[in-house]
Amino acid sequence: MLRFLVRRSLGAMVILLIISAVTFFLFYAVPRDPAMLACGKNCTPDALEVIRKNMGIDEPIPMQYWHFMIGIFAGRTFAQGACPAPCFGYSFANSDPVWDTILDRFPTTVSLTVGGAIVFLVIGLGAGMIAAWKRGTFADKLFSTGSLVLSSMQIYFVGPLVMALLVFNLGLLDQPSYVPLSEDPAGWFMGLLIPWMVIQIIFTANYTRLSRSSMIEQLAEDHVRTARAKGMSGKFVFFRYAWRGSLIPIVTIFGVDLGSLLGGAMITEWTFSLPGLGKLAVDSVANTDLPMVMGVMLFSATFIILFNVIVDAAYAFIDPRVRLA
Amino acid sequence: MRTARVSVVGLAAGALILTGCSSGGGGDAGGVSKDDAAKQQIKYEFGDAKDSTGPAEPVKGAKKGGVLTVYQRDSFAHLDPAQIYVSDEGSMSTLIHRRLTSYKRDSAGKYTVVGDLATDSGTPSKDQRTWKYTLKDGVKWEDGSPITSKDIRHTFERQFAPFISEGPVFIQQWMAGASGTGYRKLLPDGPYKGDHLSDKVLETPNDKTIVFHFKDPQPDLPYALGMAGYAAVQKKGDTKEKYDKKPVASGPYKIESFKSGKSMKLVRNTEWDAKTDPVRHQYPDSHNIQFGVSFEASTKRLVSDSAENQTAVSYSNQVDASSMQSVRSDPKVKDRSLSGYQPYVGKISFNMDRLKNKKVREAIAYALPAQSLMQAFGGSGGGELAGNYLSPTVAGHTESDPYGKVENPQGDVKKAKRILKEAGKTGMKLTFAYQNSPEWSDFSIAAKDNLTKAGFDVQLKDIVTDTYYDQIGKIKNNYDMYHSSWGADWPSASTVIPPTLDGRQVQDGASNYSHYNNPKMNKEMDRISKIKDADEAAKEWGKLSDEILKKDLPDVPLMYYKQIQLHGSKVGGAVMNNVISGIDPTQLYVKK
Repeated sequence: MLRFLVRRSLGAMVILLIISAVTFFLFYAVPRDPAMLACGKNCTPDALEVIRKNMGIDEPIPMQYWHFMIGIFAGRTFAQGACPAPCFGYSFANSDPVWDTILDRFPTTVSLTVGGAIVFLVIGLGAGMIAAWKRGTFADKLFSTGSLVLSSMQIYFVGPLVMALLVFNLGLLDQPSYVPLSEDPAGWFMGLLIPWMVIQIIFTANYTRLSRSSMIEQLAEDHVRTARAKGMSGKFVFFRYAWRGSLIPIVTIFGVDLGSLLGGAMITEWTFSLPGLGKLAVDSVANTDLPMVMGVMLFSATFIILFNVIVDAAYAFIDPRVRLA
Repeated sequence: MRTARVSVVGLAAGALILTGCSSGGGGDAGGVSKDDAAKQQIKYEFGDAKDSTGPAEPVKGAKKGGVLTVYQRDSFAHLDPAQIYVSDEGSMSTLIHRRLTSYKRDSAGKYTVVGDLATDSGTPSKDQRTWKYTLKDGVKWEDGSPITSKDIRHTFERQFAPFISEGPVFIQQWMAGASGTGYRKLLPDGPYKGDHLSDKVLETPNDKTIVFHFKDPQPDLPYALGMAGYAAVQKKGDTKEKYDKKPVASGPYKIESFKSGKSMKLVRNTEWDAKTDPVRHQYPDSHNIQFGVSFEASTKRLVSDSAENQTAVSYSNQVDASSMQSVRSDPKVKDRSLSGYQPYVGKISFNMDRLKNKKVREAIAYALPAQSLMQAFGGSGGGELAGNYLSPTVAGHTESDPYGKVENPQGDVKKAKRILKEAGKTGMKLTFAYQNSPEWSDFSIAAKDNLTKAGFDVQLKDIVTDTYYDQIGKIKNNYDMYHSSWGADWPSASTVIPPTLDGRQVQDGASNYSHYNNPKMNKEMDRISKIKDADEAAKEWGKLSDEILKKDLPDVPLMYYKQIQLHGSKVGGAVMNNVISGIDPTQLYVKK
């Protein structure tokens, strides 16, 4: 297990290094000068030079990249002041420290992701299992068709629709917003209820279909048939043997989904004006804000890779037949 | 002065003009006529000590208390006054920062430039090269310490520091007698390395007196001092770059919290004394600002008027183009709307390094369908047909329309075809660059259609909105024509014509997008800039503007931008403010 973790961690670092290099160098392929944006009116070459120096973009691009990477581990000093490790620099757009901004936005994304994940896991897995259990019945057809319809929906379509109905017309729910859980638990819950409902619509459909097919596959396995032949009850066989085996593909997908969502649910955050990492990423790209883009990209990529490792490790616990090599 | 980078930086500060349709908040959304605009072609008067004495005229029915929710699309990139130029930051700035002068709007909608921190709008010498200001008694910072002339000197000296790069530069240039960024040589490090402006430029003989000395007459100084970018900065509390995150307040509100991109909370500044302030009120307990709320989202929320939206407003978010018609047709929503002009004039700029033949430019000018642009921006609520470069709200505006853009808004394709044929250029290739926003994409299709019928071979080149102005701002760009827009900083064409048409300002990133350079016209700009009488100067600017348009045609004017804003049903005191180009946050109150 230890060897596995060490090897995967090293691999993850190489992947992160590649992502950072690709993002950094791609940024300069965009025909837009962040210094020009900050230069304001009556901009002159002299003024541009000063701004480029303040931004740290007056050096050759490979050198900038080197300093950026060093800063992550050792910290750096900017015109705005010292930037302790992990230092991703200061935003070009508003001079905020990138790392502090990411930490400030992360709780919104975590709240959205964890709440949404609980909802879509419970509903998705539940519906999938019922559909598999009642295969061929009306319930199966209802869940299967329903999930097909829902999976074709998009958040930017469903979101405003739900808001128009439940908030603006009926006034049943609060407008989506984020207040920290520690400050106002009820406000936190009510503010995120609609985003959770909407995000689960999209994901639930996938999990319903996946868990149904996986469960049906498991129910046809030899060991399940054997258990039934031994006289075990259908319910016991379903939960004790089939369900556990059906989890592997679900855990795989869930790990990837969770990692992606923690890296920023861009469309959901944008649709509901939630100040999370996804919205930060979109704003940063729009503002040609390289340090922020780099920070969010690496932060998000870390989560995706981390959850992939966790998923791989989890296989061994879920299914003892799997060995980590 | 500025370009309307609508999608990136929101709407600009500056001069003119939005119409307050009713003091109670109602309005004829989208119904601002040219007559209304002409009434507001304001020659702002300069107020005396009486005009400058607080408290401000009470807002009818206003009560203290309540929390105002504010939806803003863009976060405030700057809180340091010296870095503030865009209008949404300017709106917020009026709540927390005070300046030497400010613009007072009375209940009849008349504007007067009054003393804000100063006792009046300023006392000029005969030649208007020297202006004297005296600070009022009782003006304080949020920590209770008095605002003195030392703070004002520091405010102007730090404008020269290298880290100040985004605010207005007028007064620095006037002090230094230099154009462009040449003013920085006067005090290259600002006041931070022990150097200071000489008394020949800025005198502060005692704690109350400030005297500006300029090389040239500066009749517009009271206007310029009223800009958000020249608000006072506390010398003791100046933290240089960090001041941009935590400035010291002098206005009726101070910052309790600011989370860039997320939220901001303004609470009462208990050291602010209403008796010293002729402009601002302090009605709501707090302004709770939420960032990241798009125009579409804020429109939906405010139209719904549900729960917390009843006490909500936006300083600068406007009704999105797709909702304008429904807002105007619903009487209940229309009652909660305000409409008016923005300071911008939308134009098609010709790259005169490529389109050297005036006949070709004329053919394009006649062919372009201005009406299509107006429709793309939501119809009459989003804009009004433009005949020339000066908005109806800028002094010196005339009704001239030399290329028939108002008379024939669909474009005169036949005439364009004939002129192009006369020029022997039928079939010539034309590259038209536009930003790929829905509005400009729609217009580009209509424009291509007309231009093709007129005999051009049009190549459309869409550019990502975020990089658009960088691309067209390059001198050596590969486009023949592109759209641009510009708004005045105060109601004088001196903040419109030289920035956009002075040939000596042609450089990468500058706002002379057509690269127009006519030495005769440049000289004329210099001459008019020195005219002391505002009325005479306005007439001369109007004449020059029309002469450039008729004789040289560097840009085709198409549309004077307008906008509609909404507020919740429990928000009172909503009026449009000409100076900040949006709802005036200092007059708002929460209805009980």
